[in-house]
Amino acid sequence: MTKHDLSSETQRFLDGEPGAGPRSGERDAAVRFLDAMDTYARGFREPRGGLDDRVMARLRHMRPGRGGLWGWLVAPQAVRVRPIVLALAAAALVLVVSQRLTVPAPVVPGVAPTPGMVLVRFELLAPEARTVALAGSFNSWSSEAIVLVPGSTPGLWTVTLPLALGSYEYLFVVDGQRWIADPGAHAQVEDGFGQMNSVIVVGPRGIVRS
Amino acid sequence: MYRVLVQRYHGEFWRYAAGLVGDQDVAEDALQEAFIRAFQSLHTCRDPDRFKHWFFRILTNQCHNARARRRREEPLDHHDAPAREQADRSLYENELRHAIDHALGELTPEQREAFIMKHVDGRSYEEISSLLGTGMDALKMRVYRAREALRRILDGNV
Repeated sequence: MTKHDLSSETQRFLDGEPGAGPRSGERDAAVRFLDAMDTYARGFREPRGGLDDRVMARLRHMRPGRGGLWGWLVAPQAVRVRPIVLALAAAALVLVVSQRLTVPAPVVPGVAPTPGMVLVRFELLAPEARTVALAGSFNSWSSEAIVLVPGSTPGLWTVTLPLALGSYEYLFVVDGQRWIADPGAHAQVEDGFGQMNSVIVVGPRGIVRS
Repeated sequence: MYRVLVQRYHGEFWRYAAGLVGDQDVAEDALQEAFIRAFQSLHTCRDPDRFKHWFFRILTNQCHNARARRRREEPLDHHDAPAREQADRSLYENELRHAIDHALGELTPEQREAFIMKHVDGRSYEEISSLLGTGMDALKMRVYRAREALRRILDGNV
């Protein structure tokens, strides 16, 4: 590596700016740097599970300070859904149900649909993902229990889940660490912590993704 | 409800914490401590919409403290955690990781935060700017200085 700073042109390349490339003569230094950082980042293993259990076990005997966010946490929450979204979702109900129930997709093993439950297909286009899971209010937000599998369409991950009637919030968990909303959901609601949750509504006549 | 926050932000920040501390096991402890402290201080988080940013600052402080403690108790020049953790990796990779870890310790805390988020955690400048509350130009300058400082240190070590 050179003792001198790399040019601004090469810095933009290292910053990952689209279309930027290293200046002639600096390519080796730039690539060497990126390779070194890639080696460093890859050296960290996926964290062992159970941190949430350990935290919650320690919190069992603690009480948070009152007021502020604690007050918000224990207060009843109103879910805000835009009326126009609900109207669109209702209009799309028949189409969505027919599409979602005729496309075969993996069903979560060991979870058989029972009367009063509806099969719901979740899908996410994530070509770069190594794993995709589904977490939501229907499984206590466990980020490991419901795993999506790659479908026939490249990059498309799917799972079909039997759900009882009701409204649920959910997110996809990509590579075990990125919690992302469903870009295909017809509505998202604020989770109260600056992020958005996707919402699905399972009605008596089938699925409404609102 | 709090478990959901733990799961979400553990998933989002574990790599950042590991990079900032330089030892994954110590980073996991720092994360756990950050969640405990956040819970105990929930009453000071006046804006729930900013929970992520608020928690991020608690976590960052925990990680800086953990790194400083680790450095006092086990000088980075001699610690062999990477070798223990990565026994199956090549000697070169272990030496490189050790050198980078040492070089990161030479950066200022602000440079280290920004650099880790950009080059270890792989975040965009927009995300980093939002989390750190730093303007884009200042942030890019911080990463630039960290990057060049790191390259110079590595140049003498690898």
